Amino acid sequence: MDLKGSIQDLWKDIYNTGDLHHCFNCSTCLSGCPASYGDPPLLVRNLARMVILGLEEELLNEDTPWACVSCSKCEEMCPMDVKPFEMILAIRQWQSANDETRVPPSIVEIYKRGYTQAVGVNTDLRDSLGLPELKTITNNPELLQMFREMLMKTPVVSANDYMFGG
Amino acid sequence: MELCLFLGCNTPAIRPDVERAIRASMPILGIDLVDADNYVCCPAFGAFPSTDTDSWLATSGWNLSIAEEKGCDIVVQCGSCYSSLRMGREHIMHHPEKQERVNELLEPTGRRVDGRSKVRHVSEVLYKEIGPETIAGQLKKSLKGMNGVVQYPCHTLFPSEVVGFEDSAREPKGMRRLVEALGANVNSYSRELQCCGGAGGFMKSTPEQAIEFAQSKFDAILAETQTDFIAVSCITCLMHMENVQNTLNKRVGEERYKIPIFDYNQLLALCLGFEAKQVASICNVPRDSVLSRIA
Repeated sequence: MDLKGSIQDLWKDIYNTGDLHHCFNCSTCLSGCPASYGDPPLLVRNLARMVILGLEEELLNEDTPWACVSCSKCEEMCPMDVKPFEMILAIRQWQSANDETRVPPSIVEIYKRGYTQAVGVNTDLRDSLGLPELKTITNNPELLQMFREMLMKTPVVSANDYMFGG
Repeated sequence: MELCLFLGCNTPAIRPDVERAIRASMPILGIDLVDADNYVCCPAFGAFPSTDTDSWLATSGWNLSIAEEKGCDIVVQCGSCYSSLRMGREHIMHHPEKQERVNELLEPTGRRVDGRSKVRHVSEVLYKEIGPETIAGQLKKSLKGMNGVVQYPCHTLFPSEVVGFEDSAREPKGMRRLVEALGANVNSYSRELQCCGGAGGFMKSTPEQAIEFAQSKFDAILAETQTDFIAVSCITCLMHMENVQNTLNKRVGEERYKIPIFDYNQLLALCLGFEAKQVASICNVPRDSVLSRIA
């Protein structure tokens, strides 16, 4: 492996916990991981290694962190308390901050209507089941505006405000 | 006891019969539900938790503050919502600088969060707060004579020190005890604790492998059990385990995978005497074989 282009302190930008360095690549994180069956597989221990070694370009190009199902079994099983699921989220955050094409479109949905799904608009179906009308933020323009203004002050929304226009 | 019902997005939008089942069954067992009015996305792990801490925790804080205003804990069925809200609360509770930042972001909206409302999964409330014996004592009908298997929501097991409530996350018992309380015989099988594989990006990024992964679970169920149904307690498990069976049938060219899936609260509501057309009317794998035997 060519480490000439590696960035020694990259881990501090991505996942600044001392516990990361306790990883000894035992692979326990893979043993119960659904996405490790993927093609390409999500290999959590490899990602940990890449972060520690500072392989910036390789990490920016890694799609596999996004295949994680968030079951957190790796977090339960890791004998060194690396908290691998939190590391996966941290890698995604770092990718999103450094490559706008990584920003998940779902956050635009949430910004626009509060949810990833159209909540509270299936009124006929809900009526037929005897369900009450839901008080949703989608139907409350004033609150929705407050929610959006709050998000506008956060890094991902302010840095990519063009995605949230209109 | 009063709990603040956090519905998430999939349940009210796609499977409102599950919502009906929860709203119907919990009050009979002593849990009064108040709505989390104007809640927002939990947030889903693939959304703000994958972009930055501020947007993640401000969104969690928005939701937690609603329950705090009502003065009660949150109850939630969706596994992802449960885990996201609990992890968000964990960050807010244990990192004063994060709590301060969240409150700074929430301040113009008139909200505040301090973590005093806990986040509870509906299966935990049923298992630990109400208890299988109390449930069994309230039933008008039962699942007697039927075999079931259970699907534990991963998000209620791992990491156990943050989200857990079982005595052992490696040997959970809650779902089994709850289904037994309805009179069914619960079968064990080798892949009982295998994740359904439906959450996050696995299905989206490598669907072939995700479907094979699910197939290994269904093949184990068919080979090792006599089950009539699968009981879940997570909206993703419910929807994914139905959809994947239909996909598999198309692949194998026969109706091999047709195990009815129920959310636990649906089975509970049916046994409490509610009508299937209200509490268990929406499905992609027919349930008549089970519904006709609940007596």
